[in-house]
Amino acid sequence: MAMRDYTADKETFKNFFVDFCQSDDEGNKNFKYSEQLTRVAHREQTAFVVELDDLHETNEELAEAVRQNTRRYTNMVSDVVYEMLPDYKHREAVAKDALDVYIEHRIMLEARNHRIPGEMRDPRNRYPPELIRRFEVYFKDLSSSKSLPIREVKAEHIGKLVTIRGIVTRCTDVKPLLAVATYSCGACGAETYQPVRALHFTPPAACAADACRLNKTAGQLLLQTRGSRFQKFQELKIQEHSDQVPVGHIPRQLSVYCRGETTRRAQPGDHVAVGGVFLPLLSVGFRQLTQGLLSDTYLEAHSVNCLNQADENELTEALTEEELSELADEDLYSRMARSLAPEIYGHEDVKKALLLLLVGGVDKRPNGMKIRGNINICLMGDPGVAKSQLLNYIDRLAPRSQYTTGRGSSGVGLTAAVMKDPFTGEMMLEGGALVLADQGVCCIDEFDKMAENDRTAIHEVMEQQTISIAKAGIMTCLNARVSILAAANPAYGRYNPKRTIEQNIQLPAALLSRFDLLWLIQDKPNREKDLELAKHIAYVHQHSRQPPSELRALPMRLVRRYVALTKRKHPAVPTQLADYIVSSYVELRREARNARDVTFTSARNLLAILRLSTALARLRLSDVVEKEDVSEAIRLVEMSKQSLSPVDENVQRGISSTDRIFAIVRDLAGSSQTVKIADVIERCVDKGFKPDQVDACIEEYENLNVWQVNQVRTKITFM
Amino acid sequence: MHDLMVDFETVTPDLWMANEETWKEKLLKLPNLFQIPLINSNASLNLPDSTLVRFKGMIQDMHNPEFYFEQFEVLNTNTNEIKNKSGKYRDTAHILENEKINYTENLKSSQRQTMVVVSMPGLSDWAQQVEDKQNYLKHLEQQPNSSKRLNQDTKLKRSYEEAEEESDSMEVVEEVGNKERKVTEKSDAPANVVSREHLLNFPLPDTPSKSCIVKIYDDNENLKLNDMIEVVGFLSVDPALSGEFQPEKDPLPDPQTETEVETITHNPPPSLVPRLHAVYVKKLEHCNPLVKSFDQGAVLKEANSAREHLLKALTELLLGDKLAAEYLICHLIACVYLRQETLALGQFCLNLSNLPIQKYPNYAKQLYEIIKQFVTKSYYLPLTIENMNTLSLLPKKDYECNRLTSGVLQLSKDTHLVLDETKMEQGRLDATGVNNVAALGNMIMTQKVEYDFKYYKMEFDSDVSVLVLSEGKSLLPSDYHVPLRPEESSLQIFNAIIEAATYYLKEDIMNIIRIYLTSLKLVKYTISEDIQFVEDDFIEMRSNSDEDNPVTADDLHRLLVLARLVSLSRGFDTLDKECWEITKKMEAERLNRIKNRVASTI
Repeated sequence: MAMRDYTADKETFKNFFVDFCQSDDEGNKNFKYSEQLTRVAHREQTAFVVELDDLHETNEELAEAVRQNTRRYTNMVSDVVYEMLPDYKHREAVAKDALDVYIEHRIMLEARNHRIPGEMRDPRNRYPPELIRRFEVYFKDLSSSKSLPIREVKAEHIGKLVTIRGIVTRCTDVKPLLAVATYSCGACGAETYQPVRALHFTPPAACAADACRLNKTAGQLLLQTRGSRFQKFQELKIQEHSDQVPVGHIPRQLSVYCRGETTRRAQPGDHVAVGGVFLPLLSVGFRQLTQGLLSDTYLEAHSVNCLNQADENELTEALTEEELSELADEDLYSRMARSLAPEIYGHEDVKKALLLLLVGGVDKRPNGMKIRGNINICLMGDPGVAKSQLLNYIDRLAPRSQYTTGRGSSGVGLTAAVMKDPFTGEMMLEGGALVLADQGVCCIDEFDKMAENDRTAIHEVMEQQTISIAKAGIMTCLNARVSILAAANPAYGRYNPKRTIEQNIQLPAALLSRFDLLWLIQDKPNREKDLELAKHIAYVHQHSRQPPSELRALPMRLVRRYVALTKRKHPAVPTQLADYIVSSYVELRREARNARDVTFTSARNLLAILRLSTALARLRLSDVVEKEDVSEAIRLVEMSKQSLSPVDENVQRGISSTDRIFAIVRDLAGSSQTVKIADVIERCVDKGFKPDQVDACIEEYENLNVWQVNQVRTKITFM
Repeated sequence: MHDLMVDFETVTPDLWMANEETWKEKLLKLPNLFQIPLINSNASLNLPDSTLVRFKGMIQDMHNPEFYFEQFEVLNTNTNEIKNKSGKYRDTAHILENEKINYTENLKSSQRQTMVVVSMPGLSDWAQQVEDKQNYLKHLEQQPNSSKRLNQDTKLKRSYEEAEEESDSMEVVEEVGNKERKVTEKSDAPANVVSREHLLNFPLPDTPSKSCIVKIYDDNENLKLNDMIEVVGFLSVDPALSGEFQPEKDPLPDPQTETEVETITHNPPPSLVPRLHAVYVKKLEHCNPLVKSFDQGAVLKEANSAREHLLKALTELLLGDKLAAEYLICHLIACVYLRQETLALGQFCLNLSNLPIQKYPNYAKQLYEIIKQFVTKSYYLPLTIENMNTLSLLPKKDYECNRLTSGVLQLSKDTHLVLDETKMEQGRLDATGVNNVAALGNMIMTQKVEYDFKYYKMEFDSDVSVLVLSEGKSLLPSDYHVPLRPEESSLQIFNAIIEAATYYLKEDIMNIIRIYLTSLKLVKYTISEDIQFVEDDFIEMRSNSDEDNPVTADDLHRLLVLARLVSLSRGFDTLDKECWEITKKMEAERLNRIKNRVASTI
């Protein structure tokens, strides 16, 4: 690499600071750096931040050079700014502290000295720039540059600007660090300045001023605390975040030195992103003797930012190519569903529903009325059907979640408690599990075991997504935008299909209807399924891996990131779909009237369908809900209903699927003689049949001469 | 061959670096490494600095990488001669008094990985003895070393005198300087002294152990925490490395990169924790010194006779209960062989309940004493309330000292953990106790241990076979629960049985069993494609299952794991129908026992 022409770079910086401007929305030109310079000149701002993004816009090459050799450019920009400052000083700045006065004094002295021609100051005793400058130069890394895991910061990054993420494990008190030591000579009174760049320094042995040197008095130097310049200094220890650590390794740490304006930005336990220069630190003193062959390293901070919960999710970073290709799958929906708790075999529809719960529907606020988008699901089932495992998995997967059991939590524990502060006597609100899980998932195991009056506290949360408190002088409304995932055991241990759900789970209808989906998970011996399961398990044991025919489970982290990505979308339902949705709903209601319905089909089901379909659209990262989304949503609702009426299922199992499809066709036809095949297929698919089953049925009854199909096979006519 | 060995005895880091490839080749060509002194068996203080030594152990902690100078210039102030030196494979710069390191130019820094390696936690005494015997090096024992740790300065002098090649004469002078410093330091800074246990940081309390700080230069080594490794490297025992000798703090405000405790913890006295600069690192599959080579065919052929011996002994010890003995054998040869996201296959946590502790209160402990003779690594943990409330089972990151403080559950793979629940009495578990019990349960269920990093927790995979000995069904979960059914006649003469067993289990039979247990874990086991009988049986079981005891997928997993071990223990490396039938019978009998037991208590 050719040496860079630093003088030219200096010039470039100068022009850049003068010329760079950004236009805001109204077209006003905003001279970012000139304004900064003005503020710095008037001592209203200490940090002078150069954003490499801006520099990159005007001079790509220089920005890159800065990243490679940041320390040098920091000093250069410091020089440039110092030279430019007088031009931006429009009025006399008020001296803020003693050092200001001191500097002013010295500058005046210098000017006076210069008046005497011929007398030059000893170059060694000139004021070091660090003493006079009251600003600090920081570079902000390109926004496009990726943050590195700490273990990737290696020797080749020395001297370069890097951005790392991690968790602060230790931070020292902010202490003054000597930047320039000023000494006065005991013999001649001359002042000597010593800039200190490292953490240690050795005071000069003797006065180097002309007077002493010529007289050979070797006057003693005394440190002038008030004339020296100190900097705020703080050391942080940053540890890798758990997701950056390879399996089976210990998280690594890195020291970060913060000076001046970058101090006091973080506390232990904070998640931070630190931009800075990676530098070696030579051991000094005794350590040098013993460990002379080692050098410590540290990061000289240029920016320290605390990441809040939202940023800290890994999702802020775009998905990598590799991950994208992993996701670029035909049937991402099924694959992701299967990736939930992959060790639990089967229950695909339940997993699909849980996936949609994680994604969530879109909140709507027509005319100030709030319609929740969060999906609530209740899993019921006999003991030992992996309900708790599913809940646990969701709890681990969801970025924000709370896990509680019904028996262990009171209504107050779930919602919020008002407490009296023992010291001040003030009333305080303390959030419960539902408040803490705001914008997340609240998993409640053993929902049925919860005391009745505690359960009522959940009613409001499940529909209005708020918690109102009116207690002891505190009236407030807390947000609790949570999806509730509940698991319940049937009363008397086993689900009795002959009873209604209310009787089975002993939950009031008002609460049950608030769940968008109710699943009954049952584990009934079934030859085909058992064989499949046996084959699956045997395969795992034979080949020590999952069967290849199955889609490979996505890693948890990827699912988490993808789900977070989907939340950015807010799909809408197009008007042309309204008819379809309405007719499906009417159909559901009609069926509910006719059949002995164990569930409640109410307007809430319609909302559930809408929520599920928007969640499906989100999952496709689409902005529009499509018909397929709606029909899949209807299918899920239908399946969940079916799971609850096992008696019917068993009876219907006796009847072949062909017969059931025939019944549907007959219903559809009603009084008319002809039915469109497209309608038939649509209806049947909603009911959970496969198109080829429909075809088989049509063919079979055609052979029986029950109906005729026209030439192009679009219509069925009853004989 | 002997010449080769002599080479290894005298090689120095400089010589090694001059011809790195050849040396490494030579090392790999050695039939065994016995001649390179093993610090586990030979005290490090008998060895001179910068010689090639070996260490076997488990990676306990990983520190931050160190940046060292791979190349630097040294200026001799007397002769103005400039020499290039290297900091690789050493800790201190070997420079003369009149030489100066040039810290500003021509430095080449590199990175090396620092790990704390402790000797295998729970290594059985017999294994240690065999190891010692194999690695006994006569020439190192010429001086008595009874008072070895008492005076490290004399020790160092001795080791320097001992050094064959007189290295820089400067060295000794430097040592003297250090000694003086140490004396002064000791007198005015007693607060700096931390306990030996603290520095050694060994997972299991009350067991003798050694630890080493190993510096690894090869970046490619994929070493994980708790891996068992064997390291060949240059010893570095310069006492100047001890963190206790830090000088007084500078009077000026000194920004501290490390706290005092951290410095001391990270730089323990090298006499206690020697440094090892690795030239060769090998991951170990097992640490049984009796198993040197592994031949699957031979192992399987021998398996049955070894099994007979073991079965005989265990049946007697378990008071004539053959079924329990069969399960115990399976337990002893089990290891995790498949791990997926949340599923770990092959774990075999056995719960032996109904122990006759009324008659023999120490039965569990006595049983363990015998099992200890068979397995390579084991640990006995009485589950008393006090232990639960006071022990720290989970490793925890100590930010004060910046290291991972070990816990009992930080064990390398194939360690047998015996939990004695018969020692549990009524009492109150406090928060630590509850956490500890939960951690044990969690490890049994998932074979994962959560290490506490204060700001977050991280799961580490473990592969520890847990044997729970209890009176009733254990409060901890288990994969296989076998209520013991002692024979009345054996119950009377248990003490005599123990005696007889010790007599029966002579060294040669013991060794057969020991080899058997270790090598079976290495056998590659397959299940043929055609296992129709398994599928059919499962379907039948499902359809026959009643409401109260449903047969689930877990049951099939359990059956297949057991079938694997049953086949392996009998010396088959595939699953055949015969073994499957035996397995089914065993499980049926076991479940029957549990059922009857429940019925009898009601």
